[in-house]
Amino acid sequence: MSSTDSVKSEVFSQIALLLVDKSLTVTDDMALIGGDSVLDSMKLVELCLALEDKAEDMGFEFDWTSDAAMSRSRSMFRTAGSLAAEFISQMEAKK
Amino acid sequence: MIIVTGASKGLGRAICERLIEKKVNVLGLARNVEDVPFPSMSCDVSAYESVKAVAQQLKKDGAKVGGLVNAAGIASMNLAVTTPPSVAQKIINTNLLGTIYCCQLFAPLMLRNKLGSIINFSTIAVALGLKGESIYAASKAGVEGFTRSFAREMADFNVQVNCIAPGPIDTSLLKGITSEQINKIVSQQIIPKQFRPDSVADLVELLIDSRSNSLSGQVLHVGGA
Repeated sequence: MSSTDSVKSEVFSQIALLLVDKSLTVTDDMALIGGDSVLDSMKLVELCLALEDKAEDMGFEFDWTSDAAMSRSRSMFRTAGSLAAEFISQMEAKK
Repeated sequence: MIIVTGASKGLGRAICERLIEKKVNVLGLARNVEDVPFPSMSCDVSAYESVKAVAQQLKKDGAKVGGLVNAAGIASMNLAVTTPPSVAQKIINTNLLGTIYCCQLFAPLMLRNKLGSIINFSTIAVALGLKGESIYAASKAGVEGFTRSFAREMADFNVQVNCIAPGPIDTSLLKGITSEQINKIVSQQIIPKQFRPDSVADLVELLIDSRSNSLSGQVLHVGGA
């Protein structure tokens, strides 16, 4: 498994921890916002905080509050896959 | 730790002094903290990046933040038609956006522990619609609206958000207002007397106490309106 695959798997694990329906499997196209979202707004904030902590452990800052992050947020939080991609992109940019 | 903005003077300073007297761990924020005799950091609440830098530092330090008092504010008593746009902008930036930025950036420090109290500041000018305070009142009406909605957003995280709306309290913010004008405003309060910063500090003490955690999304008028 490449390092980005492993990070993606970490992000998916964090999402899985917050799912109410534990029988669900986190996939790339799993919706995180909108009508089909598997997370309510409270869980989404908890996910952001968890990813912030995870990023800190990995030596970078996961920014989910800046203009830059928010302007991409429609896609960033759209699915589990897009969130993982943004997380990896921020990790690589701050290396 | 309780974060207090506007800590260098006026109500913010009085609130810090009261909390310190009650052995509360306080961090005061102000643009200029040179003469602040308690733990403090420089911060311009109207600048998002400045607030963010403080929030990042606190997170890095592992600070346990249990409350936020948004006491930083500016006033300009003038008719709207004679207020320069730069002044109007400054009032909105400091009073409304400053409050929003601090809530946005410091609240996550409380959400982690699912515990906290946020106190914003409005003014009696909103409830009374005072002449010559339209832009100031507009900025604070925004704070009241923000407080009510933000309180709902924070409720699931056990963080209470309330607003204190004082009448004309005896601080430097009243500089330039005649005693006649002050008396006129005070006479419109339910309790027609001018209160001192101590009365506001009493309310802050009440709202950061866990015994008041059934209160959220409320605007409390000092003196009544």
